[in-house]
Amino acid sequence: MSDPRGEVRLVDARLHLLSRQVLDVDGEPAGVVDDLALAGPDGGEVEAGRDVHVDAILVGPVLATRLFGGRVPDSRLPRIAWDDVGHVGTAIELTVPSDRLDAAWVERWVRDRLIARIPGGRHDPEAGA
Amino acid sequence: MKKLLAAALGILTAIGGFVDIGDLVTNAVVGSRFGMSLAWVVVLGVVGIVLFASMSGRVAAVSGRATFEIVRERLGPRAAGANLLASFAINLLTLTAEVGGIALALHLASSVEPRLWIPVAALAVWLVLWRVKFQVLENVAGLMGLLLVGFAIALFQLGPDWGELLRQAVPPSPPGTEHPASYWYYAVALFGAAMTPYEVFFFSSGAVEERWTAKDLGTNRVNVLLGFPLGGLLSLSIAACAAVVLLPAGIEVSSLSQIVLPVAQAGGVLLLAVVILGIVAATFGAALETALSSGYTLAQYLGWSWGKFRRPARAARFHLTMIVALLLAVGILMTSVDPVAVTEMSVVFSAVALPLTYVPILVVANDPEYMGEHVNGRVVNALGTVYLVIVVVAAVAAIPLMIATGAGS
Repeated sequence: MSDPRGEVRLVDARLHLLSRQVLDVDGEPAGVVDDLALAGPDGGEVEAGRDVHVDAILVGPVLATRLFGGRVPDSRLPRIAWDDVGHVGTAIELTVPSDRLDAAWVERWVRDRLIARIPGGRHDPEAGA
Repeated sequence: MKKLLAAALGILTAIGGFVDIGDLVTNAVVGSRFGMSLAWVVVLGVVGIVLFASMSGRVAAVSGRATFEIVRERLGPRAAGANLLASFAINLLTLTAEVGGIALALHLASSVEPRLWIPVAALAVWLVLWRVKFQVLENVAGLMGLLLVGFAIALFQLGPDWGELLRQAVPPSPPGTEHPASYWYYAVALFGAAMTPYEVFFFSSGAVEERWTAKDLGTNRVNVLLGFPLGGLLSLSIAACAAVVLLPAGIEVSSLSQIVLPVAQAGGVLLLAVVILGIVAATFGAALETALSSGYTLAQYLGWSWGKFRRPARAARFHLTMIVALLLAVGILMTSVDPVAVTEMSVVFSAVALPLTYVPILVVANDPEYMGEHVNGRVVNALGTVYLVIVVVAAVAAIPLMIATGAGS
């Protein structure tokens, strides 16, 4: 893959991508790479013996099926498009804020329905008592 | 003063990890049954936790990745998931014991029924987690916990035969009245208590909370070198107090009031009050530490946003996890289970889970991609490898010893 500086470097998907932390553009955690969605050369099906590329990072429920088997229908897989990835280091850094990701809906649900409704839920702890 | 306060993370980690309710009990039990003959285990444990806590702190400072993110990244979802399950269960048991411990200590001070104190204690823990700044939390709990130094003062006032205490400690040999298997069971329990994984989860996540960078490696070193040996000294003085007063009298420790008996005998009401305040602070600190650790481990495994430095709404599932953990702890305590027995168990189980946490730390501390020029030196690696062997032996021996000795009885 090539990073923004134009350098090309070899990335091992299993070693450098899977189970790495994903950070959004502000450095906020946005999930872990639980699985990868691969696609064929023109975005079609993956075929043996032909080039593939990483199409998206899969986060969340896909972990359960990876551990225990089974399959989640594609439409139910929260995915982060590979186009949104800016840099691959000890964490995967995105170029978009996590609030704009569909995959962050659980965090948003817990925040809006539960945590933000408890008094002080939006209080900034660093601002003092 | 500022330098001193910078060491607060290490002191709180050590006070909360070393002299929480479980260690208070384990050390007093050990002192009253085996004298000082298990002191070497405390020393072994202190060196081990200093080694691995400083490694995890260094990884967090240099790479910004806390320990459970590394566990997940290196072990993959399966093995890390097994570690998560074990660590989370131990954490929950310990949290339960700590909340119970706060209630027991308040009961000792007020003679109000402990079960009335349990919801009050849990609510107080939650309010601090919800509202108080991380730095304030660690300074107050850590420094108040230092009041436990009352145990050391009591020891001096008791004016023991120091030569006799030393003879019990070196060379270490179990007293003739005890079965060797019980001796080794308690050795594993003490070792597990000293090296409990939640200490490194908390310490490394705390380093991220405090936004340490490679510049703070000195602070990291001061923290572990000051905090953990201090915790070890407090542990030893608790055991020594028990060895001086309770061992000759043939009293076996089964409650908190017996643990503070030597203090009351030596220093009267005033010192007793100081020590009880110290116990409340130490158990409260440990409750904060374990509640936070339950949030840290789950959030880091699943990649959620976490940390006390964020607004609760910006780390929603992290805060929800801590609330659920506290509610579960209160629920368990309301069944009238003995908090002291709960910790004794959790300490032994934590010995089993040790290798799954310490192996990934050692591996990543050697990975230049994470550490750059700050990878482990040769001495640290040699020591780390020796400790991995000890940790694995303790992990393998823990359950068989527990069954063979009927949990040490």
